[in-house]
Amino acid sequence: MDRRVVITGIGVVSPIGIGKDAFWNSLERGVSGVRLIEGFDTSPYRTKIAAQIKGFDPSKYLSLQKVYVMDRFSQLAMVATKEAFEDSKFALNDSNKNRIGVIWGSSEGGINTREEQYRKFFSKGPRAIDPMTLPKAMGVAPATNIAIEYGITGLNYSITNTCSSGAVSVGEGYRLIKHGYADVIVAGASEAPITPAMLCGWCKLRALSTRNDIPEQAVRPFSKDRDGPVLGEGAGVVILESLEHAMERDSNIYCEVVGYWSNSDAYHLTFPNARGQAEAMKGALESGNISNEEVDYINAHGTATPINDKGETEAIKNVFGSMAYSIPVSSTKSMIGHLLGAAGTVESIASILAIENQFLPPTINYEAPDPECDLDYVPNKGRRSAVNTVMTNSFGFGGANASIILTRYRRQ
Amino acid sequence: MSEKNRRRVVVTGMGLITPVGSDMETFWDSVANGVSGVRLVTSIDTSAFRTKIAGQIEDFDPEKYLEPKEIKRMDRFTQLAIAATSLALQDSNLKIDDGIKEKVGVILGSAVAGIISHEIAAKDLFVRGHRYVNPLTVPLVMFNAGASNICMHFGFTGTSFGISTACASATNAIGEAYQRIKNGYGEIMVAGGSDAPISPVCFSAWNKLRAMSTNNGEPERACKPFSKDRDGLVMAEGSGMLILESLDSAVARSAGIYGEIIGYGSTSDAFHLTYPNKEQEIRAIELTLADAGVNPDDIDYINAHGTATTANDKVETETIKTVFGKRAYSIPISSTKSMIGHSLGASGAIELIASILAMRNGFIPPTINYEIPDPECDLDYVPNVGRRAELSIAMSSSFGFGGTNAVLLVKKWKD
Repeated sequence: MDRRVVITGIGVVSPIGIGKDAFWNSLERGVSGVRLIEGFDTSPYRTKIAAQIKGFDPSKYLSLQKVYVMDRFSQLAMVATKEAFEDSKFALNDSNKNRIGVIWGSSEGGINTREEQYRKFFSKGPRAIDPMTLPKAMGVAPATNIAIEYGITGLNYSITNTCSSGAVSVGEGYRLIKHGYADVIVAGASEAPITPAMLCGWCKLRALSTRNDIPEQAVRPFSKDRDGPVLGEGAGVVILESLEHAMERDSNIYCEVVGYWSNSDAYHLTFPNARGQAEAMKGALESGNISNEEVDYINAHGTATPINDKGETEAIKNVFGSMAYSIPVSSTKSMIGHLLGAAGTVESIASILAIENQFLPPTINYEAPDPECDLDYVPNKGRRSAVNTVMTNSFGFGGANASIILTRYRRQ
Repeated sequence: MSEKNRRRVVVTGMGLITPVGSDMETFWDSVANGVSGVRLVTSIDTSAFRTKIAGQIEDFDPEKYLEPKEIKRMDRFTQLAIAATSLALQDSNLKIDDGIKEKVGVILGSAVAGIISHEIAAKDLFVRGHRYVNPLTVPLVMFNAGASNICMHFGFTGTSFGISTACASATNAIGEAYQRIKNGYGEIMVAGGSDAPISPVCFSAWNKLRAMSTNNGEPERACKPFSKDRDGLVMAEGSGMLILESLDSAVARSAGIYGEIIGYGSTSDAFHLTYPNKEQEIRAIELTLADAGVNPDDIDYINAHGTATTANDKVETETIKTVFGKRAYSIPISSTKSMIGHSLGASGAIELIASILAMRNGFIPPTINYEIPDPECDLDYVPNVGRRAELSIAMSSSFGFGGTNAVLLVKKWKD
């Protein structure tokens, strides 16, 4: 018997705010979190900007001992998860800990730790290597650290699907509850990808914006003058719960997860494919029995690369036909930057808050209309609107597509 | 399509690339006869390390499976995964045409993924300068490069993602793929694991953890699971891939069936980053037995996690004794890691294949290098020499760093 799945708590650590209130405040007002990169020398690189979380001090939230054994992507995860648990008012105990799981998305894993150790190894030799390197850097580290912190003993794994990792962790978590494998899933994702070697790699791919002199206006999804995303760091977590479980404890319910689909383009490592993206959106709508007419808002993948935004626009038109022109579509990456594996979860949270506040966050920096991108991108200014059903899209490198449908909770 | 059959999941193809064989015959021949694949490491300089041995694949030729242009775009772990997938698809006789491509999904487990490429990029950057960094670094290093490239190489457009749960990655990948078919989300899944962890910094970090055997003088005898003188695991590289199919799909195309996946369970220790925990290992096995609807008495063989670390083998033995009670003493248990080494995120798939081959051949592979009984490890580990036995249900367990426990049950197929 399939069960209904609702979201009862959210937590977010992002370049535009730590905590859901600060995060939403920025989204609502169209505030960018993109700045010049701090922390290492960017002079050799074409791109010198990114969406970093300024002033993130892990020791404000975690004991120094824990800070020491965690990569930044785990630290971000721990802070976001703490907020989500507090928000959901859910308490773990011996009788429920086995029915709770953690699914964590990340594209790069503990890359800060890895590079820090590489630098030591290549300059000072093997003696300088931190013995905690492996447990810090492993992809499953955030899921493990969360399980240890809260005593969660249900299933626990990390999903990696490049830029759709976070969306897949929410989607797979939803299915696990739907089919009865768990009552509660902590579904999240985190990424801390702003390191010298990775920035260097991204620059070599020529995938990032080079508007270094105007960081806040750099990311321009769907605008004709767009020149790519910027890397961002952050974490997002949602507490997924079976409706029954949420009602039993009289929990606040943000929204219901009703549809999810993921597929693969099998096309190209870095080029997207509109057909595969359209299939993912259709699959999500079908799996949730949602008609095209019901969709009030699409939170786009919208990376601001010339090819993504054109392809995604095409895919949306392919799915929704002429209706596409009347559905507002926005890319919150214009403000948050591209959080890679964490993007899907953080953007799910933006979508949840759009439902909660009945307000559409804008696509900022939209300046020059592109005839190939001719939908309503909620340009520059957010607006009030009835938001009951939202689609959120994530399309990763390697052709990893995922789409999720969230609806305002109705008792029925 | 009958509802009942659609939800039964069978294995119709297997492929692997391992230190003890890069085709199934050689692999089985080694594993059945107790041949070790552990040698002195040749691919990197180990002079600064305590441990100088590993399970390397010395005869792997990516050009047998890939175009030179493709090889350049793939880290070694991806190359191994594509090779193993090729072999598994061949073995399954699955005809890859346009009709089938959208029905096939991929879940690949990996613990360290593109680590060799990341190290090379970092070395180029820190030692020589940014100009020398490979422009393909990002797609080489990304964790799901393996799953993505399998999709691209074979044209599969079903769902695909990577799973990472350290040493349990492949077991979780196969388990999640099994559940996906069982719940009606797909008909055919390519699932397994791949890891190529023998790179200088990764190897150095494992040294620092002091988890690896330092028996450098006798590489083939270094890995001693359950033996009192065991001194740690031996790292290995490799990939194992399986073709999982709904029974209906397999029957419809008259596929050869190796076995049926009948149970999967996974838990988290919530305990310690590197130390195992008995309570949750027990629960993972119990969940798996319940998922399959079988009793502890029905299990004929256990392919153990058996890493040969002091802690793992002791705790795993206690776990088995708690779940199986007195019967624990009469179930043959072997650690094929004694021969293959520990291929981290790939180990679960390779060991499931070993278990299936054991059932098929009616022969239990040994735990080699078992020399000194340990009073804390007092079960039947099939010491040193394999033996004939009729097996109907086998259990394969993986317990990863970070505390993810994953267990699979597989049943022999009787036509």
